[in-house]
Amino acid sequence: MKNIIDVTVENQAHITVSPREDEDFIFLYHGLENYIRKQEGVIAVSSYYQGEAALQYRHNAEGVALFGVNPEDEDRVVQKEKDMIAGDFGSLDLPGRYMVIGSKLARNLDVDIGDTVTAQFPGSAPADFKISGIIQTGTQADETAAYANLKRVQDFYNAGDIITGMGIRVSDIYAANTLANKIDREADYDAVSWMEQNSEILDLIETQSQFVLIFYILIFAISGFGIANILIMIVMEKVGEIGMLMAMGVPRKSILFIFLLEACILGMAGVMIGSALGYVSALFLASYSIPIPPEMYFGMDHLPILIVPENFIIAGIFAMAIITMAGIYPARRASKMNPVEAIHSV
Amino acid sequence: MSDEKIIQITNLTRIYVDGVEIRALDGVELDIEKGEFLAIVGPSGSGKSTLLNLIGILDTPTSGTILLKGIDVTKMSDKERSRIRNQELGFIFQYHHLLPDFNALENVMMPLLINGMKTSKAREKAREMLEEVGLGDRLYHRSNQLSGGQNQRVAVARALVNNPSIVIGDEPTGNLDSKSSDNIYELLRKLNREHNQTFILVTHDERMAAKTDRIIRLVDGKVVEDSRKV
Ligand SMILES: Nc1ncnc2c1ncn2[C@@H]1O[C@H](COP(=O)(O)OP(=O)(O)OP(=O)(O)O)[C@@H](O)[C@H]1O
Ligand SMILES: [Mg+2]
Repeated sequence: MKNIIDVTVENQAHITVSPREDEDFIFLYHGLENYIRKQEGVIAVSSYYQGEAALQYRHNAEGVALFGVNPEDEDRVVQKEKDMIAGDFGSLDLPGRYMVIGSKLARNLDVDIGDTVTAQFPGSAPADFKISGIIQTGTQADETAAYANLKRVQDFYNAGDIITGMGIRVSDIYAANTLANKIDREADYDAVSWMEQNSEILDLIETQSQFVLIFYILIFAISGFGIANILIMIVMEKVGEIGMLMAMGVPRKSILFIFLLEACILGMAGVMIGSALGYVSALFLASYSIPIPPEMYFGMDHLPILIVPENFIIAGIFAMAIITMAGIYPARRASKMNPVEAIHSV
Repeated sequence: MSDEKIIQITNLTRIYVDGVEIRALDGVELDIEKGEFLAIVGPSGSGKSTLLNLIGILDTPTSGTILLKGIDVTKMSDKERSRIRNQELGFIFQYHHLLPDFNALENVMMPLLINGMKTSKAREKAREMLEEVGLGDRLYHRSNQLSGGQNQRVAVARALVNNPSIVIGDEPTGNLDSKSSDNIYELLRKLNREHNQTFILVTHDERMAAKTDRIIRLVDGKVVEDSRKV
């Protein structure tokens, strides 16, 4: 679960600042930006103007969320450049009208780098933008988001130098809440941290990890009893032989050791087969993209599968510990046998 | 025959508490000399097996002492008992109790390996022992590939391979027909003469008992007869 948080927080502003409650825009945002930049732990700030628009290319048209950004700032806050599959995000700074769009949107419009699309919005003059980059984040934004230079977007909407929001990146993601509250209080703008934004999901993850823990405990308990059962059966099958070994002079301690060793050998075989099966099925699952509702999982739209060597090692150690523990009772039972009764049981 | 006392039993009592108290052995006094070939007889439930298991230190008496070669074995740790069972005692039971996953040779090697002998040397000794019991041509057979008499011969070889000073047999021919029974008896007798080991055999077979040097008769956990051939 921690992995999911780390991965997704990487692609999200840690704190988002919105206009005051009864306003639609942040008007004097340069002052606010300077104030936020001075706060401790702030790495980057990106102001943006978000509006709706229709993009048209030949006979295709799609509704989009059009973001006006300063590409350098935006990249520092939400790491855009690494998700570019064609062109680069910095091109939005070039003189002229350039646009970066999501990969699915590009496919739907049937456009490629170098093509020119027309943006339209009621009350605005249609404006042409040249596609200079295609971005793929693996989220829904790929289908709806278009990015252009802040200034050009403000002009397109006939707005002055105003913005609709601000994204902030901080050094310690778990301190984001504190900083958001401070901005909220001191600047009187609506600042929300990624934790508040996703509080329901985080709660869900919390309960989910408790369930996962219970699940693990159950699995280990069940397999522990299963293994103990098998070992007890092996011991019961060999009662006569154990008695004869004792008569031949094998000390009780060695009998104990023999059956613990048997448990370990069975355990080792189990861990090896289990790890191989686990690895193969993880590869198999990863080769399919299993859809999940993105609005529930930080915008991820498929089940993330990470194959981490540590997990195999931890599971292996746990399994060996459980198996050895499960082996103790049957082995003790074998070593405590009365040789006379054992021999005559056959 | 030397008159060195290899086993000295004094006032040996074994009481089983199993709901009711059962006095399986009741104040048994018995001395056995080195090289003796003796039979313990008596009706069913008279305590023959109980006595044998105590001599074999597979069981602990309620009271009384057993000295093996002058050492009290009733108060020993499991480790010491195990060592004595391995080196001084050989067991033959009514059923052969061979380990089913191993062949005859491996079964006979077992007591030697438990004693820490090298595998190659143990294999050589086990082979000699199996030849001595007449199974030189059955080394690699498992117990399910051998007859009852042959299995019992393997068990005899296993009991004797460590050259124990005392061999105990609880009805060692009880499962065999009279011909195989006689063969095993002759074999034990031969081994007794050649190695001067002490043999203590429990038997229901009066015919076989009559061929031993000494008969001890138990009734209700007490020795009622102790007769030596002269
Ligand atoms: N483990 C035990 N628990 C309770 N009683 C026992 C136990 N073993 C033996 N006994 C009792 O002790 C008495 C002597 O038994 P033991 O086995 O020594 O007889 P036995 O002379 O060998 O008889 P058999 O000729 O039938 O083998 C019997 O009354 C028997 O029921
Ligand atoms: Mg008996």
